[in-house]
Amino acid sequence: MALNNDDRLASVDVIQQNFESRNYIANKQIATAVFLAYHLGKPVLIEGPPGVGKTELAKTTAEMLDLECVRLQCYEGLDESKAIYEWKYGKQLLYTQVLKETLNEVLQGAKGLSQSVEKLHEFGDIFFSNEFLEPRPLLKALRSDEGCVLLIDEVDKSDHEFESLLLEMLSDFQISIPEIGTIKANPDRKPLVFLTSNNTREISDALKRRCLHLYIPFPDGDLEKQIIHARVPEIADNLRNQLVNFVQELRELDLKKVPAISETIDWARTLILLHSETLDQDLVNQTLNVILKFQEDIESVEPELATLTNKALKDT
Amino acid sequence: MDQTLVEFVKTLRTAEIKVSPAETLDAMACIDKVGYEDREFLKNSLALVLSKTPEEKEAFDTCFENFFNFDHFEDNDFLHQDDDDNANDGDGDGDGDGDASGNSEEGGSGGGQGASGATPEDFPELTLQPQSELGQLLMSGDRNRLTVALVEAGREVGVTDIVVFTQKGLYTRKIMDAMGGKALGEEITELQGHAGIQQKMLSGTLKKHRDRLRDRVRDYVEKQFFLHADESGKQLREELLKKVKLSNIEKRNFKDVQEVVVKMAKKLISIHSKRRKAFKRGQLDIRKTLRKNMQYDGMFFDIKWKAQKVDRPKVMAICDVSGSVSNYSRFLLMFLYSLAEVLPKVRSFAFSSDLGEVTDLFEHSTLEDAMAKTMRDFGNGSTDYGQMLADFKSHCMNDVNNKTTVIILGDARNNYGDPKNEVLREIYDKCQRVIWLNPEPKMSWSVGDSEMKKYAAACHQVEVCNSLVHLERVVGNLLRNVS
Repeated sequence: MALNNDDRLASVDVIQQNFESRNYIANKQIATAVFLAYHLGKPVLIEGPPGVGKTELAKTTAEMLDLECVRLQCYEGLDESKAIYEWKYGKQLLYTQVLKETLNEVLQGAKGLSQSVEKLHEFGDIFFSNEFLEPRPLLKALRSDEGCVLLIDEVDKSDHEFESLLLEMLSDFQISIPEIGTIKANPDRKPLVFLTSNNTREISDALKRRCLHLYIPFPDGDLEKQIIHARVPEIADNLRNQLVNFVQELRELDLKKVPAISETIDWARTLILLHSETLDQDLVNQTLNVILKFQEDIESVEPELATLTNKALKDT
Repeated sequence: MDQTLVEFVKTLRTAEIKVSPAETLDAMACIDKVGYEDREFLKNSLALVLSKTPEEKEAFDTCFENFFNFDHFEDNDFLHQDDDDNANDGDGDGDGDGDASGNSEEGGSGGGQGASGATPEDFPELTLQPQSELGQLLMSGDRNRLTVALVEAGREVGVTDIVVFTQKGLYTRKIMDAMGGKALGEEITELQGHAGIQQKMLSGTLKKHRDRLRDRVRDYVEKQFFLHADESGKQLREELLKKVKLSNIEKRNFKDVQEVVVKMAKKLISIHSKRRKAFKRGQLDIRKTLRKNMQYDGMFFDIKWKAQKVDRPKVMAICDVSGSVSNYSRFLLMFLYSLAEVLPKVRSFAFSSDLGEVTDLFEHSTLEDAMAKTMRDFGNGSTDYGQMLADFKSHCMNDVNNKTTVIILGDARNNYGDPKNEVLREIYDKCQRVIWLNPEPKMSWSVGDSEMKKYAAACHQVEVCNSLVHLERVVGNLLRNVS
């Protein structure tokens, strides 16, 4: 397995090809990041505007390596009990009740307080042992024997505290649980960690320091055409070029939210559904809501639709 | 090789890319894996390890190009130019000589054509060797050694310490001297004094080489300047800007000041955004509660809640925008708005006599615009603090509570009008803090029409504030005092 993965990640070119065969078009930087992440054993922090394929990268990597993808979606208020582990409180309470009833049996034959206490100590810390532990994504990722791809999605949505919580995990691939001790990842099968961020707030330096930092910008025209070709192979070349040109033009405008790759892909699918063969103004007008998600944006683009469409047609 | 990386990291740091020692180690591990062979691969890899924001990536790109191009370019260029020049040298000398001899021969005898044509070949070999070390080096034409000597000389005179561009000439000379330029110069002069043709020729060649070397050194210094000084010069400027009186800052520096303010604000944000206080209601934190109450025999005695609250100060800033003080208020407002992350509730007011709220204006337009509009609407008119306080009382007194901090920025020069300090006293009683920032030095507070003495009695804190450092301290204190 390890050998296999080493092969798959032997060089940047191999990685690029492997990604391409899974319909993910990666540029050199992205492939380099995956290459280094694997060979240096470092997490990758991926930043970039929404919809450029940050999450997809992690998923595709997991698929490529035949590993499980453990995903942790971050949000405000996420804490260790949801990210790392939780005690099974219900079970603990239940066991306490049971223990109460059987206490007499347990303590039978004990003389005096000190002996009773000794007997009770023999129970050890069963309440805080592995049986009562409910593993959450991070712990799951560490414990997986096969290795896995851990995706910590939108880490910028979580709180500062949670970031600090991640540090131990990211630098040493271990987690400390006070009652049990330190749980370490299998040193030969460390999880491959991807963190994504939309840059809604600055990620702390401590976290950044521990990661490789990959910035994925919007792709240029050629790359986007390749991506559409890979994702929506049934679309005609002609239409694809027009569509990509149009979207590239849109990105130049001052919009609240510019269309991302995912929106271009959606649009391509829409146009196929509508059996259209070429872009024209009416068609664009009717389907504009697929690529623009704000009414303001649609309104600001509408007057220039004719020019934009013509330009997109002319460039191809 | 490690030395190269360390120097590269140093260059990055001057370009304001924060690289920690740990990241340098990572970069080394990365280079072990990647090697120096594939330039693009190396660049991509180092960019992943060393630069951590889009801005840093951009800076990294230029740094990488400049830094790793250097040796390569230097060698190539030198070689190229040298060959070129040699060719030119040969041509020039040959021509000159040929012409001269041709002329003389034409003057002398008509049958010398063959001899004239042969003159360049007959041109006496340069057999004399220069005495000075640098001269020998130049004549040997060993580019690598020359480059090494140049870099070493550069290191010796500390060319990386170059700060401003006017130092370029100085460092060029220093490097020339360190390479032995003086000895060479003396030799050239001495050779010129000689009558022999060999000496003359040697001095000519040496001179040419020296000039070319000087160009090269200047070039080298220039590159070093771009690598090391461009940014550290900026740092120096920023340090200065922090200390200079705000009213003396010129318009062309406003952009720099803005950068400085944003940086300072960021610092304050990172210091203060983590101040948290446990909430008293909300969702029960079972985990913490159970843990905590284990010691009370499992009785839920001490209850913990999940939510935590960041207590943020509510700030009302009142700024005098009459001519003399407007520069200060501009920067105070800039500061407050840069702190939006930790200070979400800033309301700002401007006045010279009548008070007006400018919160929206500053939130929605650029600082320049906002300032201009504020000046237009409130700027003209004589200062009247009494009127301002009365207005504040009638409009905003209801919003003032024991969590509010009121910051007043002004020189308290009231044109001998009614100061109405009893209104300030009312505010004082109602709010958490009143801070008065006065750009004038303490000396002049009781002079002329200044009412500072009266107002100071109704303030929690009175500060002289006329530079960014002062402002930073005041705002930092403001954030610290809220707990």
